[in-house]
Amino acid sequence: MPCMEATHGSGMGGQGARPVVVLADDDDAITSNLAPFLERAGLTVHVAPDGEAALELVKRLDPDGCILDVLMPRLDGREVLRRLRADGRWLPVVLLTQVGESTERAIALDEGADDYLNKPFDPHELLARLRAVLRRARPGRRPLSASPALRAGDLRLDRIARRAWFRDAELVLTPKAMLLLDYLLTHPDELMTRDRLLEVLWGFDFPVGTRAVDNRIAELRRVLDDDPVRPQWIATVPGQGYRFVASVDEVR
Amino acid sequence: MTRLVPGLQPWLLLLVPVLAGAALGAALQVTEPETRLYATASPALLAGMAGLLATIVLAGLALARRRAAAAAAAADAAVRDAVAKATQERLRFLMRLDHELKNPLTAIRAGLANIEHADAAATADASAGAAVASVSAQANRITQLLGDLRKLADLETREIEAAPVDLPGLLREVSEATAAIPAAGERIIRVNVPRAPWPLPLIEGDRDLLFIALQNLVANAVKFSAPGDTVEVRASEDGSWVLLEVADTGTGIPEDEIGEVWHELARGRAARSIPGTGIGLALVRVIATRHGGHVAIRSRVGQGTVVGIRLPVQARTETAPAVAEPRQRSDPRGKVPA
Repeated sequence: MPCMEATHGSGMGGQGARPVVVLADDDDAITSNLAPFLERAGLTVHVAPDGEAALELVKRLDPDGCILDVLMPRLDGREVLRRLRADGRWLPVVLLTQVGESTERAIALDEGADDYLNKPFDPHELLARLRAVLRRARPGRRPLSASPALRAGDLRLDRIARRAWFRDAELVLTPKAMLLLDYLLTHPDELMTRDRLLEVLWGFDFPVGTRAVDNRIAELRRVLDDDPVRPQWIATVPGQGYRFVASVDEVR
Repeated sequence: MTRLVPGLQPWLLLLVPVLAGAALGAALQVTEPETRLYATASPALLAGMAGLLATIVLAGLALARRRAAAAAAAADAAVRDAVAKATQERLRFLMRLDHELKNPLTAIRAGLANIEHADAAATADASAGAAVASVSAQANRITQLLGDLRKLADLETREIEAAPVDLPGLLREVSEATAAIPAAGERIIRVNVPRAPWPLPLIEGDRDLLFIALQNLVANAVKFSAPGDTVEVRASEDGSWVLLEVADTGTGIPEDEIGEVWHELARGRAARSIPGTGIGLALVRVIATRHGGHVAIRSRVGQGTVVGIRLPVQARTETAPAVAEPRQRSDPRGKVPA
């Protein structure tokens, strides 16, 4: 049985304190450039050169967040994540994955990563995502992205079975719309640019056609009976993207 | 046996022993007058000899046919194997390249972000600032290129959604989306979707990918034409296939470059001054192929280019027209003249 320690993630995230983050990557060229960048942005960064070291650092430091490369010697990033979650450690985790590996993205979300980013990424993008997951973190509580089932008002989502219900009727959705719904529910109240959602759907950005995203959003709005003018679920952020506005909680 | 000798009517084969028997009998009569009685008294022997002869002839024929068929099948299989192997190897190479380049690129981009943030004084120097901006732009360009190559490899292997696609709706969307293509407003863009005698049939596939393929072709047509040129998007069908075409009155592609255009990173001489990674048509080809279709291109320098995507009609609606002549059963993935 995973047990939850009462002190988890509480100490460091206080008002005004610098959030503590563990950065695990076996490539020194990356950590030696990325760590100073994140430090400059106001984080305290501890570097781990492999998975075992990352696990050790998280246990010792009880950090506010963790960035894990997927491909690492000794323990890969996914195994580190699995062990952290099995241990009842709910700190936010960003996985650094491979471009376009659609199965890898699905697995990353299934295993309770809070977000993932494809290498080579823009460091500013990593910072933005890290800040978002730190802000969303609920100290000592399981993050939405590690919860098997979620609820938002009359909407219920079984993330393991990939099934959803609205007002007690099961929703019939295309696989991509289901993926999008999962991502929106696990990232509520966060501005999602069309490019970002396109990446969620496809694993990479396409130079043209963010319309693919608009179509899937329209599909979700249709089944959720949502009025784009007075949205209860998905709000359009003009010129930028979308935001899931309903409040989400895990189903116990 | 008759199946092994296609093209010959079976009853014709029955004539072989009879004719052979008659010929043998005639030969015996002419050469050996003493055996005449024996020969006429023993039609059974003649028939037996004729049967033996016929069997030998037929067996020989069948064996030759079978050998030829086996050789052809082996050659076919060898070509298929070679193509599959080459594709596999290319994909593996792309993944290795991606794997080896992504870490250095991530490090370079993080390093650049450090310089930009850290040292306002250093980048305040105009030349240093310009150098950082330039290196940063080039790093982004390599990132884009790597992403495009990875995208292609991914599209060749990922599962493709197979939902009914309404082509008129898709083409309408493509035409609406031209507004987002830079300079498209300066081209005359026409979209021609047939309604008579019946609307386009449904096809099966991934709507998003087909949209991307068409959008890419329209963007290309705009890119390689001048203000005032015409770009036409049109569709037609012949019962088994739908043909989607994007044509332009633009610059055209020289004959010696036309064979290269479908390959990744292929960039014609005329394209060198135009931004892009040279991945567009390769992407279109992969999308068409993954839908069981084909691509074709025709071009004349100074006159323009037409690119076609031929897709198999997979779902026949109840309103599909009756076809008078018996429909040929054809493999939708088989080769069709472009």
